[in-house]
Amino acid sequence: MSALAIDNLTKSFGDVQTLKGINIALDSGEFLVLLGASGCGKSTLLNIIAGLAEPTSGGVSIDGRSLTGVHPKDRDIAMVFQSYALYPNLTVARNIGFGLEMRRVPKPERERAVLEAARLLQIEPLLDRKPSQLSGGQRQRVAIGRALVRQPKVFLFDEPLSNLDAKLRMEMRTELKRLHQMLKTTIVYVTHDQIEAMTLATRIAVMRNGKIEQWGTPEAIYQRPATAYVATFVGAPPMNMLAGIWREGGLQINGLDRMLDLPRPKAAKADKITLGIRPEALQLGNDGISLPLRVDVSELTGPELIVTGKIGTQRLVASFPARHRIDTGELLDLRLPADQAHFFDVETGKRLNDDSHD
Amino acid sequence: MSSSWLTTRAWLLMLPLLAVMVGVIGWPLAETVRLSFTDAKLVGTGGDYVGLANYSKMLTGSAFQKTLWATLWFALASVAIEMVVGVLAALLLNEKFYGRTILRALMILPWALPTVVNATLWRLIYNPEYGAMNAALTQIGLIDAYRSWLGEPGSAMWAIILADVWKNFPLVTLIALAALQAVPRDTIAASLVDGAGPFRRFRYVTLPHLAGPLMVALVLRTIEAFKVFDIIWIMTRGGPANTTRTLSILVYQEGFSFQRAGSGASLALIVTLMVSLLALAYGGLLRKTAGRMD
Repeated sequence: MSALAIDNLTKSFGDVQTLKGINIALDSGEFLVLLGASGCGKSTLLNIIAGLAEPTSGGVSIDGRSLTGVHPKDRDIAMVFQSYALYPNLTVARNIGFGLEMRRVPKPERERAVLEAARLLQIEPLLDRKPSQLSGGQRQRVAIGRALVRQPKVFLFDEPLSNLDAKLRMEMRTELKRLHQMLKTTIVYVTHDQIEAMTLATRIAVMRNGKIEQWGTPEAIYQRPATAYVATFVGAPPMNMLAGIWREGGLQINGLDRMLDLPRPKAAKADKITLGIRPEALQLGNDGISLPLRVDVSELTGPELIVTGKIGTQRLVASFPARHRIDTGELLDLRLPADQAHFFDVETGKRLNDDSHD
Repeated sequence: MSSSWLTTRAWLLMLPLLAVMVGVIGWPLAETVRLSFTDAKLVGTGGDYVGLANYSKMLTGSAFQKTLWATLWFALASVAIEMVVGVLAALLLNEKFYGRTILRALMILPWALPTVVNATLWRLIYNPEYGAMNAALTQIGLIDAYRSWLGEPGSAMWAIILADVWKNFPLVTLIALAALQAVPRDTIAASLVDGAGPFRRFRYVTLPHLAGPLMVALVLRTIEAFKVFDIIWIMTRGGPANTTRTLSILVYQEGFSFQRAGSGASLALIVTLMVSLLALAYGGLLRKTAGRMD
């Protein structure tokens, strides 16, 4: 029995179908990230799990209990919002304990739970303050505390870190990971940030146009992206997508005379193909398939050096550890290990590599 | 161009407006202050200096105290009802339903009507012989016989308060409705997940976002209600038995009906002072609310 099961769920607003048949089965204690660009339906899906919106068809169940028609407060869930959504004229302590107060939990028990949550989130000194006296990071801790004290079966997070600045976002990300490792509660987390998805998730659902484009572990999503969309959405800088044609003796990249000695996957029926290469898969050295690159721009980000140039007529980005020195105008002989080549169908965008169906 | 010429030119450009302001505001105000220390009549000679006699006569007179109570009663009752009805109407109009846009537009209508039209309208409704109020109440059996709503001391003030509420609650609704748009959806959602019912949700989510704007409405309405003149003058002229006489009407009667320009002026200044104090107190309150709202 799944901790959270979503069965063939659809949602339409008038003529527009925002969710087109979502199926999810999540084990207890998993950290699921719904990842996608804005408008892909991820927030709608979260709101339906929370009971804040009704599905058009299909259903949600938690621990085998169907939630159809069940009020949000009775679903055994707790939710953390992007805008924190604190009650402005209540103290931090009452904000955290509000859910328990509404459930008529006796005061001593409530205070104990609030104190415990505050201690866990290191906001004990703030308990008597009002939300307006807190920083963004502190507010988000309070919002998380409000969810924690309820001890729900499932936590729902709606882009909780989007309103924080970069440094704080990283801190809170680590904090959330720590909390999950400690509490082992099932979490559904919505974000458009692929770094958040990669670092936090035990399971990622990449969503696009109301469908789950790929479902898998962060490693699987990164190393075996099921479609060209997933491949370019996850990873920064994004995966290079080169157009090419299968010919006698290998793959020819458009605009490049040379054939690349890559094995043609069985699923590659059409001659035209998209070759995907992660920027960090490209190496300097002697092993692998040779790719000549004329450097146009070379950017040092600190930990890595990002090089942009042309291969044939197409743009290619490669990234190296910062210790390399590469100047503009240089001609590089880049090497691609054969197992680092990703193949995608030009029409459907589907992954064609031989490992696709494991 | 020297800066002193710039300053001079600025003053020259403002001079016409300054002259007008001194002419239509400054001079009459100074005249009122001067008159208030004399026993001048409305027609005839300027009158003699009498010191503070006008003020002491007005402040200690039973008419003033009775009128002050009537004014306070009118202001408190009408503003309180307007606030409650206004907020309830705003909450209703904030819900999604068929015809909401039309209803929102219609709601503004009473407020857009000139007070004179509104007052005349309600006088017709309250008419003791053919008024709609009598007809409606007898038909549903709440009263046995037609009554003179504006002619009886017991009901006249309430009848006027009802007319004033009908005219002015839309302003409160308008302000509250605008404020309701600013209530964050996330916080409402959070309160649903937390299990707060409609009353708690209003208390902890909606009301904190309404408090600031409603304070502004409260200030505007109280000051206006305290100065009320036209609606009452048209409906009852302060009667019956002076039960609906407010301070502005008393000033008018003293100065114009009884033609005592001197004591009328002193009374006018007393009322001005009270309204100014009210405005100052509310100004402080507003700043405090704004501060608390972050």
